[in-house]
Amino acid sequence: MRKAFTGAIVALAGVLFFSSMAAAQASQSQNQARSPWKYFPRDIAVGDGGPAPKRDLSGTWAGPGSTDSIPAGTPAEKPSLTPLGQKLLSERKPIGRFGPAGTNDPTSRYCDPLGFPQNFIYQNRAMSVATMPNRVVFLLQFGGFWREVWTDGRALPTNVGGDDKDSLDPTYMGYSVGHWEDDYNFVIDTTGLDERSWTMRDGTPHSVNAHVQERWTRVDHNTMKVSMTIDDPKMYTKAFSLGTYYYRWVPNQKINEWLCVPSETLKYLQEQGDPAGSYPNEPEQRLGGGRRGR
Amino acid sequence: MKVKKNAAAFALIAGLLVIASPLFAHHGDAAYSATPMIMKGCVVTEYTWMNPHSLIKFDYKNDKGVLQHWTMEIGSPPSMALLGWSRTTLRAGDVITAYVYQAKSGAMVGRTNKVILADGTVLADRDESTPSRYGAEQK
Repeated sequence: MRKAFTGAIVALAGVLFFSSMAAAQASQSQNQARSPWKYFPRDIAVGDGGPAPKRDLSGTWAGPGSTDSIPAGTPAEKPSLTPLGQKLLSERKPIGRFGPAGTNDPTSRYCDPLGFPQNFIYQNRAMSVATMPNRVVFLLQFGGFWREVWTDGRALPTNVGGDDKDSLDPTYMGYSVGHWEDDYNFVIDTTGLDERSWTMRDGTPHSVNAHVQERWTRVDHNTMKVSMTIDDPKMYTKAFSLGTYYYRWVPNQKINEWLCVPSETLKYLQEQGDPAGSYPNEPEQRLGGGRRGR
Repeated sequence: MKVKKNAAAFALIAGLLVIASPLFAHHGDAAYSATPMIMKGCVVTEYTWMNPHSLIKFDYKNDKGVLQHWTMEIGSPPSMALLGWSRTTLRAGDVITAYVYQAKSGAMVGRTNKVILADGTVLADRDESTPSRYGAEQK
């Protein structure tokens, strides 16, 4: 009886030993196969990852449209345009309603930057956020652009794009300041936007003096969301929502490069887009809110 | 039981709708036919993994034996990577069957949502939410 018991113990120990060896080997082989340099777009964070850290958006995030695991947000409202806003919009032929051959969307035709705020409404499938002592920096995957949000207490600039020699130049990212409203809500105000960029994919215009406000909420460790509004009396009769968008933590914190390369865009248009022709009057597409695209 | 039957019918219809839907791209579908041509024996001449859409060029002999030079697009690299496509998925010389939605302009350009390699491997351009649509995931 005692011998049998000892035998069972030895056998069990043997099984445990060999199974742990097998597990270690499997793990090793899995690790070997999963290079830390590689982006794994199918990897998604599971659960909430624990409580949200205080006053921190740092990390690498998967954004709207990246995978179906990103929670749906809310789309932008339809703006109420001034006569000038309507005139400018009527001159624009957005991609989606027009094919690549017929659009005058400057990003689709020439790889021009989407600019802010469109780059946080459309194609922001991944980004990193870095916190520096005096600013928060958003590093966007699409186009490799970055955006600085100053947290040192400075005020937003005035008279951007003015006629006097000291006025600041309008920029595609604008001028941004941010502050923590509480431990989990970071509010950003932005102005000074280059008027060549479109507010949204549908061609909605903005002026250099548009004011965009973002409210970033760190929901938990693995989730954050942003709600955006825009006000621009020159173009809109009232402020409106640009939508709400969710982001999820990227497990290995590695994303890939995704650029609009002018020579590739030219090749695409010459060899595919332009020969295919343009057929307008496609149904207007939902703007923003995390719609999955190609 | 009736509920189960209704649910099954709904699932079938939903599935058929998903399969029948033409692929979606950032620029819409209006320029392309809504029904595909099934083109067999296409010889890949160039495969470019790029933005805004990767391009596959191939030679095709039509039913009259005339050699045609075609170009077709798939989704953007980030979207196609989710579906198992990569920079090395196709090489010049590969013989494929392509489901091609030709441009309404009549040019020999189109879009594809299904490519079958010579060894039977099926590559698709479809949503991640329909993983079994064309069989096993492609490596």
